[in-house]
Amino acid sequence: MAQLRIREILRALRRHEVNFIVVGGISAVLQGAPLNTFDLDIVHSRESGNVQRLILALREMEAVYRLQSQRKLSPSESHLESKGHQLLATKFGPLDVLGEIGHSRSYADLLPLSFEWSPEPGNDVRVLGLETHILVKEEVAAPKDLAVLPVLRRTLEERSRRS
Amino acid sequence: MQPEHGGSEYSEDGVDLTLIRWMLSLTPSERLQVVEDHANEIIELRESIRAAG
Repeated sequence: MAQLRIREILRALRRHEVNFIVVGGISAVLQGAPLNTFDLDIVHSRESGNVQRLILALREMEAVYRLQSQRKLSPSESHLESKGHQLLATKFGPLDVLGEIGHSRSYADLLPLSFEWSPEPGNDVRVLGLETHILVKEEVAAPKDLAVLPVLRRTLEERSRRS
Repeated sequence: MQPEHGGSEYSEDGVDLTLIRWMLSLTPSERLQVVEDHANEIIELRESIRAAG
């Protein structure tokens, strides 16, 4: 398994001008939740031009499906235009490329609920707000999502107390 | 880096608030570094166990 290098994944996506939002565990960590995670989750715009740019970025990162990595299968345009979840391995670590999350929430739905973060100058990325991350976890309500909800809710409370 | 203290250390539902306070004291870039370091240490450990076994 490749070492996790999230900044390198973000750089590759930005270099190809991909429109995406950081969601999942990393979005929560960036906002102060003390969680461990082994991958980066993004929701991308499924507009055709964006999917083309995403394919180029994924090619540069040598992205293949994680569960069949020996077969070296890459996601196609139709996969990335779908609502589905593409669970990939890249040379910078695992990357989940998600068409929708929660109750059919797309990039366009989530964009107003995200904020801008600059990991380095000229490399701004959008990150899903913690309130919406909690809402998505409540909607999915799988055991692994329910397990982290108390930490996420307390993080939100502590953050509000500080501001 | 040491967790900050102040107020209760655990919430009613058992969440360690000192870890949250410590993470909130870091910048987002530092938080990202913490999670990357943890993930990579576990990946290395897992690979060393696999190589030994």
